[in-house]
Amino acid sequence: MSPASLDEELVAAAQGGSTEAFSRLVERHQQALRAFLRRACGDWSAADDLAQETFLAAWSRIGRLRAGASVRAWLCGIGYNKHLTAVRSAGRERARAKRYEEDRPVVSEGKPEDRLALEAAMAELPAEQRACVALCLAADFSHAEAAEALEMPLGTVKSHISRGRARLMQALGVCDD
Amino acid sequence: MTEADDRLKALFALDEPPARDAVFSTAVMEQVMRRRFQEDVALLSAASLAGGGALWVIWPILQPALVAISQGLAPALGGLALAACAAMILGGRVRSALGLEA
Repeated sequence: MSPASLDEELVAAAQGGSTEAFSRLVERHQQALRAFLRRACGDWSAADDLAQETFLAAWSRIGRLRAGASVRAWLCGIGYNKHLTAVRSAGRERARAKRYEEDRPVVSEGKPEDRLALEAAMAELPAEQRACVALCLAADFSHAEAAEALEMPLGTVKSHISRGRARLMQALGVCDD
Repeated sequence: MTEADDRLKALFALDEPPARDAVFSTAVMEQVMRRRFQEDVALLSAASLAGGGALWVIWPILQPALVAISQGLAPALGGLALAACAAMILGGRVRSALGLEA
């Protein structure tokens, strides 16, 4: 069974009220959603909180998910809207930024300066550009899928990715041909 | 995909959460179940309130009807109750007399 048809089956069961099916959807998509939110907001602990809120909202709205729609894109769309709402709440952001610094894991792989440069460059990108980069360059979303998830026109997504990629490459000191 | 894209992707991959995370999934499902419980409680409370309200409204009509029915049915219900008691008491003796008791 293909992943898409398995998703469809699980969505249909979850729409019928099966928490077991929803739990399997959580297992299958938590990685993609959390990775996207980590990159979109740069704060791991806040991203995981948002991911939990996203799944909770998804449970309430699962009945509205149309058959054949990409579950991954749908979840990322909900997560992105939650992230934008959270960004607007400045006080909450400040508290989370502080927690993030405390909880931030030490990663041993990769050149630390590259990671820091990438993180700094991502932080400087506008929210929309950052979300497009996180979906298409980091998570292998197609441009169309990202446009659907972020509710943006396809052309806008493409231009965000092109500009965002150029800025990241510049920050990493990569000569791009 | 260029080498630069590969490098970018490799750096992004360092932020990737694990493919299976039981702690995260359990935390999500705990919240889902809590939400479901709250919804069930809210629904049952609303249904109980609506039922109570409806009963309160129709009670003046219902009460005389219940009194009239109960007076008519009282002898029959009394007989049925006695028969049930007799069956329970005698049933065991009859079964043991017939050697059917386990």
